[in-house]
Amino acid sequence: MNFLIDLANWDWSDIFVITAVGYSVVFAVLILLIIVYKLMPKVLNLQLKRRLKKEGREITAKSDEEYVPGEVNAAVATALHLYFNQQHDEESNIITIKRVERTYSPWSSKIYNMNNARHYQP
Amino acid sequence: MRRFVKYYTALAMLFMLFVTGMQAEAQAVAGESGGAFFNGLAKFWENSGFSNFDIRQLVMIIIGLVLIHLAIKFKYEPLLLVPIGTGLIIGNIPLPVSDAAIGIKDEGSVLYYLYFGVGEGVYPSLIFLGIGAMTDFSSLISNPKLMLLGAAAQIGIFATFIGAVLLGFEIHEAGAIAIIGGADGPTAIFASSNLAPHLLGSIAIAAYSYMALVPVIQPPIMRLLTKKRERIIKMPPPRAVSKTEKVLFPLIGLMLTAFISPGSLPLLGMLFFGNLLKESGVTDRLAETARTSMVDIVTILLGLTVGASTSAAMFLTVGSIKIFLLGAVSFGIATAGGVIFAKAMNLFLSKEKKINPLIGAAGVSAVPASSRVVQTEGQKADPSNHLLMHAMAPNVSGVIGSAVAAGMMLSFLM
Repeated sequence: MNFLIDLANWDWSDIFVITAVGYSVVFAVLILLIIVYKLMPKVLNLQLKRRLKKEGREITAKSDEEYVPGEVNAAVATALHLYFNQQHDEESNIITIKRVERTYSPWSSKIYNMNNARHYQP
Repeated sequence: MRRFVKYYTALAMLFMLFVTGMQAEAQAVAGESGGAFFNGLAKFWENSGFSNFDIRQLVMIIIGLVLIHLAIKFKYEPLLLVPIGTGLIIGNIPLPVSDAAIGIKDEGSVLYYLYFGVGEGVYPSLIFLGIGAMTDFSSLISNPKLMLLGAAAQIGIFATFIGAVLLGFEIHEAGAIAIIGGADGPTAIFASSNLAPHLLGSIAIAAYSYMALVPVIQPPIMRLLTKKRERIIKMPPPRAVSKTEKVLFPLIGLMLTAFISPGSLPLLGMLFFGNLLKESGVTDRLAETARTSMVDIVTILLGLTVGASTSAAMFLTVGSIKIFLLGAVSFGIATAGGVIFAKAMNLFLSKEKKINPLIGAAGVSAVPASSRVVQTEGQKADPSNHLLMHAMAPNVSGVIGSAVAAGMMLSFLM
């Protein structure tokens, strides 16, 4: 698939051609991507504005206000999270200690504990 | 480290004594008695690894152990260095000359089939799919001009290409070695498997070793090329990116890059496909598999087989030393290229839009290691400055840039 270069008998000019063309293409691809991604939000906004105009709604936001910075989003999300986490049921505010009744079982009995072996007299 | 070297030297000496002693003994016994039992024993000895042992293989096994040690003790890229180190040991166990298919080069062996994925460039493409499914490109979409830094850092690739030719490498080999300058392991393996398969082991190990050493190599260059007042520049926070933009990004990126540089299609096609799985919002299961289980399985197979394919005869050469030397220089050039370009961009930007030149260093595609380095260096200058999100933009565009550069190399040299 190679083009330009005679790979069997290359010389230094070929090396510089590969370097110059290769590096330029890398730049060209990324510059094209930059142009496309710069234009993309503008095109998307254009459509949005057109739709809103059709619906008869007023466009009040300026172009700078259309995008909320990430920090503002994070602050709003944190505030909502904290708010929803603070939602509790109504409580009586009276703290009590309830006595727990346990039915007797030899499995948990202190009488049969290993430490009691010293009291055992045959 | 000193204790480590001491232990391994002692072990190597014991091993040598054992090997030479046993070999002499077995030959003597078989010769004297000539009995069937001892002949069998001698045959067994001939087929054992000890009999077919070569000192260079011991060196390779020690290199494998050192890589494993670095990964476990110092946590240098453990997910890659542990499989590669183990692969080095597996690939350098001396094998008998027989019809049995055991080694990675023996057609029909298990390792041979596992290596198919490296040789034919399957694993690098699958890794790119995983990278696409785990990467958030929103910082890049919100500030596209930072992509230029990703392009500028690719000077490492082309400078290495010229350097490799100067050092006497053949043009295809130089093309494969050059990709180390992109600091992108899968891309280096992909280019090498196509252009110079015999150098794949050295190139892969050099690329991954330098990627592991990004926190060591980059900071001095970054500090050398920037002033304190530049390092404390605070950049405005990136804008929030809409879902439509995130979905359109991989589709536009795929078509644009593939049309211009078709050679990069196996890598960038998979990268953008993985990102579409992530951002579409309707293929969460596929994206989750691609970025977790699949990429883990491929990493295991890639590391192990790359290590196992690196034989002593191929690796312990002057060429490998040159490759390692070129790798170090190319990493430095790529980092410097990104930082200097960021400083040049600042000449044309208004005061409030100036970029912190440290993020230029993230133009190499070691994701996210170099972004982390930028964040750390930025915080050393000003603890309240967070550059991580900004650095991710040149970092991921570096991945795209190095894949395009590899595609160009393939177009020229194949």
